[in-house]
Amino acid sequence: MRKLRWMALAVLFVGACAQEADDKAAENGAAADADGAETSAPQSVSVAGAAQGADDNGDAKGVVRPPLDPYPSTYEPYASGATLIAGATILTGAGERIDNGSILLEGGKITAIGAAGAVDVPAGANTIDAAGKWVTPGVIDIHSHLGDYPSPSTASTSDGNEVTSPNTAHVWAEHSVWPQDAGFTRALAGGITSLQVLPGSANLFGGRSVILKNVPSRTVQGMKFPGAPYGLKMACGENPKRVYGDKGGPDTRMGNVAGYRAAWIEAAGYKKQWDDYWKSYEAWAEKDGDKDEDAEEAPDAPSRDLKLETLAGVLSGDIRVNMHCYRADEMVQVLDIAREFGYKVSAFHHAIEAYKVADYLAENGVCAAVWADWWGFKLEAYDTVTANAALVDAQANSCAIIHSDSNTGIQRLNQEAAKAMAAGWRIGLEIAPEDAIVWITANPAKSMGVLDQTGTLETGKMADVVIWNGNPFSVYAKAEQVFIDGALMYDRYDPKRSPRMDFEIGQQGNDHTGGAGQ
Amino acid sequence: MSAMINKPIIAAVFSVFALTAVNEAAAQTANSTTAIMNGEVHTAAGDVIKNGDVIIRDGVIVQVGADLIAPTGARVIDASGKVVTPGVFAPLSSIGLLEISLDEEANDAGPNRGDGFPLGAALDAVDAYRRTSTLIAINRAGGVTRALAAANPGDSLFGGRGAVIDMSGAVDSVTKPRAAQIAMMGSEGASRAGGTRMGAWAFMREYLDEARSYAANPNAYVRRNREDRFALSDLKALGAVVSGAQPLIVHLNGEADIRNLIRLKTDYNLRVIIAGGSEAWRAAEPLAAADIAVILDPMVNLPSQFEDLGATLKNAARLNAAGVKIAFYNPPGFGAHNLRLLTQQAGNAVAEGLPYEAAIAALTINPAEMFGLDRQLGSIELGKIADIVIWDGDPLEVTTIPQAVFINGVRQDLDNRQAALLSRYRDLSRGALPLAYRGGE
Repeated sequence: MRKLRWMALAVLFVGACAQEADDKAAENGAAADADGAETSAPQSVSVAGAAQGADDNGDAKGVVRPPLDPYPSTYEPYASGATLIAGATILTGAGERIDNGSILLEGGKITAIGAAGAVDVPAGANTIDAAGKWVTPGVIDIHSHLGDYPSPSTASTSDGNEVTSPNTAHVWAEHSVWPQDAGFTRALAGGITSLQVLPGSANLFGGRSVILKNVPSRTVQGMKFPGAPYGLKMACGENPKRVYGDKGGPDTRMGNVAGYRAAWIEAAGYKKQWDDYWKSYEAWAEKDGDKDEDAEEAPDAPSRDLKLETLAGVLSGDIRVNMHCYRADEMVQVLDIAREFGYKVSAFHHAIEAYKVADYLAENGVCAAVWADWWGFKLEAYDTVTANAALVDAQANSCAIIHSDSNTGIQRLNQEAAKAMAAGWRIGLEIAPEDAIVWITANPAKSMGVLDQTGTLETGKMADVVIWNGNPFSVYAKAEQVFIDGALMYDRYDPKRSPRMDFEIGQQGNDHTGGAGQ
Repeated sequence: MSAMINKPIIAAVFSVFALTAVNEAAAQTANSTTAIMNGEVHTAAGDVIKNGDVIIRDGVIVQVGADLIAPTGARVIDASGKVVTPGVFAPLSSIGLLEISLDEEANDAGPNRGDGFPLGAALDAVDAYRRTSTLIAINRAGGVTRALAAANPGDSLFGGRGAVIDMSGAVDSVTKPRAAQIAMMGSEGASRAGGTRMGAWAFMREYLDEARSYAANPNAYVRRNREDRFALSDLKALGAVVSGAQPLIVHLNGEADIRNLIRLKTDYNLRVIIAGGSEAWRAAEPLAAADIAVILDPMVNLPSQFEDLGATLKNAARLNAAGVKIAFYNPPGFGAHNLRLLTQQAGNAVAEGLPYEAAIAALTINPAEMFGLDRQLGSIELGKIADIVIWDGDPLEVTTIPQAVFINGVRQDLDNRQAALLSRYRDLSRGALPLAYRGGE
């Protein structure tokens, strides 16, 4: 394995968890965070506070973890006037193409879209003549490690994989995200407006993901996508057994599955404790409340356990499972495990062999997030075909996603989708640009639970919009302007609209490098 | 070159099965004449011939021009609407040395780090080269016709001798063994030399000095005490480097290291080529003056290390403008599986200002020149070996693929393992027998 140290570094440089950081585990094992495995001491929860938390979420039953969102988003859209983008070829992300179309952004939202003549222009709107340009929804990457494997890539900044236990469901990716990662700026220049940052894939349960708007901020809270659901990163196959094989297991794929099942059994028990507690609390509240001095005391809340809170959140449907899984047979095993314990897999990531079981995936409503053509870095990645996404997409009720897992790939998901689309053409699949754009906009948004807010160009949605200098499915295409919630956050021709992170400014001789678009 | 993709659907859709059949039918020997007619021919020798024709006989290009007449008996290929280029030449890869990166047994792309294996420069890629690797056919179908197959350094500064191979997968597919020596400098070199770049450069000079001593008087050298001499097989291998006969490909990125390398080349009268060079644009003029070529990934634009702080998408364009010969390689760690993406990398460089024909040259003639093969390979010119690709559109465009690939004048089979998997799983409906009975025959 040491042979691959150079490669492992290279992989970290691309931010990948695909090839996995077991080398890092070996190198940094001694330095690994000693207190990473245990979370904070159980904390008693005030009943009133808990009830309040439940009320906030509008669901007193089944709420297991007060508070649901202890680190809420502080992101607020930046100021924007009304903007009309006129005369473009628009791919809506909802499967439509509008030639000579216009789209109106007002108050951070899309307020009108249609044929150029059909969109009324409010007084004072800034009109952008986009004749010859193409317009798409902001691109969304469902699988990124920006911020948790940032640039520069050093031991100091390597915060993506809590390689201390096969189950680290208690860690949250947002607590590793360094908002100063220059990679965010480069991704912005590639049209990325939202992304999901995931923990790495060393562990059966890697921890919680975080969904970000790609807007620079001093804090990660300032980047968090307001109200977006959490995800849980899980991993199949080679990585966990390779990393833990000589560290107490799992050492086999059957060990992996046993590990998932034992954890779900424990999580179900934990969830029941809290559900029972809520029932008894409600009964008590009805009977005694807290008004009468002579009343019985309120029931004691169970102790919190961060790991089980996350898993129980999956069982209650609040947290979405992002399952790193390459092999076809393993994906279908996981579907059965999900059925056994009553949860849903939102997407298989790195699903190299999705095309072999595209029918199963469609039947189960599971997305497959894939690369266009990466392969061969490990045996479970041996069987890729470039038509993978196209074959997944060809099924009825399917959900194909192109993801990056890379700080360079995220800069050109449009090109990755283009390659996958063209591979589909060659086997006779009719895939138009308005279809393929869905793989990097609406489908990831759907899987991440934010499709009601972004991912398509429809009225009422966030004005996350990219103007391309031509057909985005060309190698020569560049995002010229990127709007996030209606605000122009990147302009290819205006250095004042090109963010540069702290690490890159003031470096001698670097006046012309760094920042978005470089 | 306008993109093909303005058409939502490519008109001529053909199945993998049909493609295979065509290729088999086209299988031929080198002892024949082929006429590629009416293509847009990018010769990589300075010309773009609209409606150009290329005549190949006995593996060699015998005519290039417009309005040629196909020789009697020639196999005629109508390339109208197509683009014809020299085959893609990958200047740095681990092709044939590597099947699965994380599988020790299937990875000969470099010695383990930390094992203390004592040899480096002595390693010879030809000893591990496996012509039947699936990577060869998969990348051949992407238009790659030649490559340098080389290992990465393990604990040594040196990775050994790489070989130029052709991508035919034939038994005799080694074009030029020991075509280049590989070295690791920069931060990665430092990690092999006590942790500093000073150590890496001192160690490099010491190696070259020892190789010179050995070359000057082998008998005297071997009479030294064993502890006073370097591994003889390494020194023997470095003889070709210190004599200037064999290029030394040096992995490094930062400007400071690049300027050191220019000095080293002068001091030792070496032939050197940079691999990586994320900050090479900062020394573009001295590099051009020193005639040092750069093999780069034009998509590198992040400050991955401090030595990459100057990384920019403009690197390729700036180097080329200064007169530095460039070529492309896949990012380190991805050095063999997707050589087919070199064209995409070239396209991205063009999108950042590299002139189109310079990008074609970077994919073809420049690598040939790096290994002293430019009189035989790398362009569509009279007398050259016919490594030619006919593309279904702009070869730098991500939606384009080769329609025909010629190596040594022989039309190649474009079938490969990925195509076989695709045909097996194209239709998932239950048949009379399991899928394992389908295809693959």
